[in-house]
Amino acid sequence: MLKAMLKKEFILILRDKHALAALFIMPSIFILIMSMALKDTFDNERAFIRYAVIDQDQTSISLNIISALQDNTTLEQYGTEITEQKQLQQALNSGLHFALTIPKGFAKQFKNENSTRILHLDVASDVKQNMLLLFKGELTGIITQLRIEKMLQELEVMLPGITAKTDVLMQNTNKQIEVHFNGLKPDQHPTSTQQSVPSWIVFGMFFIIIPMSTIFINERKQNTLMRMQAMNISIPILFTGKVVPYMLINQIQVWLMIGVGIFIVPLLGADALTLGNSLPGLFMVSTGLSLAAIGTSILIAVSVNTVEQATTIGGIINILFGAIGGVMVPKFFMPQSMQVLSNISPMSWGLEGFLDIFLRGLDARAVFSESLALAGFGIVLLFIAWAIFARRTRNGT
Amino acid sequence: MIRIKNLSKSYNTILALDQLNMSIGKGVIFGLLGPNGAGKTTLISILNGLSNFQEGDVEIFGLPLQQNLKQIRKRCTFIPQSLALYENLSIIENLRFFAGIQLISGSTLQNNLDYAISVNHLETLLEQKAGTLSGGQKRRLNIAIGLLNNPEILYFDEPTIGIDPESRNDILETIRSFKEDNKTVIYTSHYMDEIEKICDEAAIINHGKIILQGDLQTMLKESKDPSMSLESLFIHLTRQDNANA
Repeated sequence: MLKAMLKKEFILILRDKHALAALFIMPSIFILIMSMALKDTFDNERAFIRYAVIDQDQTSISLNIISALQDNTTLEQYGTEITEQKQLQQALNSGLHFALTIPKGFAKQFKNENSTRILHLDVASDVKQNMLLLFKGELTGIITQLRIEKMLQELEVMLPGITAKTDVLMQNTNKQIEVHFNGLKPDQHPTSTQQSVPSWIVFGMFFIIIPMSTIFINERKQNTLMRMQAMNISIPILFTGKVVPYMLINQIQVWLMIGVGIFIVPLLGADALTLGNSLPGLFMVSTGLSLAAIGTSILIAVSVNTVEQATTIGGIINILFGAIGGVMVPKFFMPQSMQVLSNISPMSWGLEGFLDIFLRGLDARAVFSESLALAGFGIVLLFIAWAIFARRTRNGT
Repeated sequence: MIRIKNLSKSYNTILALDQLNMSIGKGVIFGLLGPNGAGKTTLISILNGLSNFQEGDVEIFGLPLQQNLKQIRKRCTFIPQSLALYENLSIIENLRFFAGIQLISGSTLQNNLDYAISVNHLETLLEQKAGTLSGGQKRRLNIAIGLLNNPEILYFDEPTIGIDPESRNDILETIRSFKEDNKTVIYTSHYMDEIEKICDEAAIINHGKIILQGDLQTMLKESKDPSMSLESLFIHLTRQDNANA
């Protein structure tokens, strides 16, 4: 009985080009686009701050500042030299983040706490606070280092040989910091692929809402379900005949998208996906997510009257779950209140589970609670759907 | 074969069937007539175990319906008015699916498939997708699906709606042929000529009650005007019943 139902659902899905596109092609394309689009966000060596220096001082101090800025790989010097105010405005409106003006006489008052010749920073209006803090911090570091260097030069006159002993102070402090990302090997760092594949797997899995509810409503409208009930097919068997094939379809989705992350994404220049350390954990999360998505689909299918309603409501629920759950905007970008709110979305539970596996390198024990919550959510929705469907069947609606 | 005694069913405050009594014998083609909302579909739903009832007794094959539903369903079939099939599956895929869910297999499957296909003249169309068939061919597939369990009782709910006269005639001949196999047919339709053509017995239902029941020829002969057609008799009786209500 189940074999016949399984075969029927697979044939129906395989012959529905729109369903295939929504279930397999759309999330794969999302993974490719988002992995490429966010590639540089996770690149530690990439220059992502563009700056220009207007050096009105032209001294060794100002040249040292320029040189130190140039040494920083996260900063990129603006290509065009800026000489006038109008040019500066245009540059700040077209990609330049910061314009640093070193005023004439800066070097002379360099050590003076009450200097009137201070550095002036013009900032593009779309620069975020954290980027400004980063650039100001970099400048502060450079100036502090230059001050120490100047002081040591003066001390050298009084205490010959002291600079040799204090050379360590002049070393690049970056070399004294080792970064290790939790759950990753010492030489690994988070990549856009590791971040985006879990998100779009979760989103893609919930897209079964649309083909599944469409098929179910058509079956209900054409009395195929009623005919099946007259053939002794009970509601639990009817639902099982839906749950099992769509769980398999979800698993195919998961492995297809993982395949895209491993084999296709690197061909386009982004980092390849690595699987993490726990295949059982991956299976647990994907099974829980699948039940949650299928429960949602069947509940929608039994609650609405038309395919159009199911498509609209299903689409809205999918996007809302995704937006709240951190699929579209990663949770770490959200304010604290939104991060708390995101916990209402089952997509958030699934995403956290996948991130535990893919990004944090955790095992099946770590994702047990998320998997259980997702499975429980799906099963509760299936029971509600059962009650609604039984009532509608009795009433002939 | 089918015995209904004092059957009542209501949806909230609306009485759909009111103390209905009916008896249908084996091998009879029985027409169920009535205006929209008279209670025909409710009765068919109850007989198929798709709807509960509040009062009365229903026995099929001498067995109480509610206690023996699974057993009774295996020997009956319901052919709904709508095309309860999958347009994206071919004819043979549809037939194999509906046979599969009824756990029909082996030689029984092959025999029943052959019977369903030949009775409905679908031999040359087996690989064609249901969605590409004509209205009449779809109706024939709809009937073929209902024959997969080789049923003893067939419930037809307006099976000829929206098809051309030739296909309609084919379907009526097919239904008539079930009599030769000693199958019982319960047939609802709005087309009185269909009922006159294929049915042995009939009942007219209005407001959930039977207002006339019996052998079709006798019903027509015993009417006020023996030359009256079934359609005229139906209109006359339902108007009279509506006036009395």
